[in-house]
Amino acid sequence: MLELISHFWALVPVTIAQSLILSFVVLAIMIPFRILGFPDLTSEGAYPLGGAICAMALMAGLPAWSALLVAMAAGFLAGCATAFIHLRFRIHSLLAGILVMTMLYSVNLRLLGKSNQPVFNLRTIFSFLIDHGLSDIGAKIMVAGAIAVLAFLLLRLYFLTEKGTAMRAVGANPDMAEANGINVWTMTVGGVGLAGSFSALSGAIMVQSQGFADVNMGFGILINGLAALMIGEAVVGKQTVVRQLLAPFVGTLIYYQLISVCLVAGLPPGDLKLATGLFVLAMLAAPSLRGRGAPMARDTMRD
Amino acid sequence: MLEVQNARRVFFPGQPDEKIALDGLDLKLASGDFAVVIGSNGAGKSTLLNAISGALRLDSGKVFINGRDVTAIPVHRRAVHVARVFQDPMKGTAATMTVAENMLLAELRHNPARLRRGLTKARRAFYAEQLSYLHLGMENRLDTVVSTLSGGQRQSLSLVMAVTGTPDILLLDEHTAALDPRTADLVMDATIRAVTALKLTTLMVTHNMKHAVDYGNRVVMLDSGRVRFELAGDEKKNATVAGLVSHFAVKTDRMLLGA
Ligand SMILES: Nc1ncnc2c1ncn2[C@@H]1O[C@H](COP(=O)(O)OP(=O)(O)OP(=O)(O)O)[C@@H](O)[C@H]1O
Ligand SMILES: [Mg+2]
Repeated sequence: MLELISHFWALVPVTIAQSLILSFVVLAIMIPFRILGFPDLTSEGAYPLGGAICAMALMAGLPAWSALLVAMAAGFLAGCATAFIHLRFRIHSLLAGILVMTMLYSVNLRLLGKSNQPVFNLRTIFSFLIDHGLSDIGAKIMVAGAIAVLAFLLLRLYFLTEKGTAMRAVGANPDMAEANGINVWTMTVGGVGLAGSFSALSGAIMVQSQGFADVNMGFGILINGLAALMIGEAVVGKQTVVRQLLAPFVGTLIYYQLISVCLVAGLPPGDLKLATGLFVLAMLAAPSLRGRGAPMARDTMRD
Repeated sequence: MLEVQNARRVFFPGQPDEKIALDGLDLKLASGDFAVVIGSNGAGKSTLLNAISGALRLDSGKVFINGRDVTAIPVHRRAVHVARVFQDPMKGTAATMTVAENMLLAELRHNPARLRRGLTKARRAFYAEQLSYLHLGMENRLDTVVSTLSGGQRQSLSLVMAVTGTPDILLLDEHTAALDPRTADLVMDATIRAVTALKLTTLMVTHNMKHAVDYGNRVVMLDSGRVRFELAGDEKKNATVAGLVSHFAVKTDRMLLGA
């Protein structure tokens, strides 16, 4: 038992670094799902897209920080594409996301040229701190953590502006938003695009962290992200904008520690998806099992 | 000023269940006119209001607001001119947002959203003052999430939201029909006070003939997508419930007793 605990303890910093990097995907799942009322699967494709674009940019000699921005721009376009397909052709948002995600697989493979592309020995966003004596993990936690704090503060600021309030209204009641002069199209396209850029950011940082890009790196990220989001919402709540924005970050930190516990305790990694899936199902089902109906889950899935 | 010219809208054209909702309807309101719109179920009242707000595209015909042709202008850009309260209290407000945030959204109708702080101190004070005219104590509930308000409170909020910024046209579609009689009276009272104080050009749909007699300076009766008759001036002043009811082929208790 003690051995297991010390084993887990040794993994805590690595897991924190990993969850900080992945918290942006969870943020990218939260924004469409909770704020725009637009259940979206684009992140599963935008995350590896960000990774692939970042790998390409690094190999083309772009500085590490610029590579992140290029990746975010690509992710933004991917999100916009999903929203546009939904709005223009009246295709269900989930199906639109699956379409974009599937097409992105080919795009990512084209970009990388092969299924796995190493980017070792190039300067990354972590290099500066490592040069100044920080450990590899320490640098990752500092840099990813700083970006997370920055993203949180900027989004908080944004959702308190008139534009941010208008964007939330689109999710709360699109007809009412429109009747109050808000352009539902641009808000939806912009919001889902914003989410896509965060997915891509996550993939890009992950590639710089792990030293390679892989076409399959997004596989299952969505259900992990949903699980993390549900945990975060259970812990910090979602009654206010600040709580709703905090939930992805808190949830991701807890979720990956839980996964780490499971793995250290001997759960075969192959069973993780089943376990996570059952967990998300249980969280989504909880309200209806308690007999209150599941308004959020049901309403957002219907149209 | 509002003008609807030869408005036509057919649902399911060419199919067995074809429905002519608007059949060459003409209507003209001067600034400050308060018209009560009556007519049986399916007469086209809601469709007319949808056409004016832009929520519904016309097959042919035109809508002018203040002399400007707005027929092709989408809902969100017409919102500068047109405000609306729906029958369903859920429709006019954002349920998961607070009272103050909803008031802010209403302000954005005539003041497009920008990247600047939303709920400032000054705004909150202004919203509190506007809500205080309702005498429902809502000015103390600025941070209450709207979904926890009663239907009547929500509808009152919708009304205050609709009249902020003095819209050129106010559309009310049976906006008290879903409320209990006492609350309906409160909301109707607030409506009349706002419309009179702000001299709003108003179209109010109702099935309550007493409302049609008591309120407004004009009555417009729709039938099968056309204006069947209009009353204005002294004719309107002298209108009686019995007189109005006599124009309906099918009479319901609702007309007499109120919705
Ligand atoms: N979106 C729609 N699709 C199909 N038919 C519609 C639609 N909206 C209205 N109609 C039809 O158009 C006609 C006019 O409807 P409208 O809602 O304008 O009536 P109304 O006068 O508001 O009636 P009520 O008093 O019942 O509210 C009705 O026959 C209705 O069935
Ligand atoms: Mg109607």
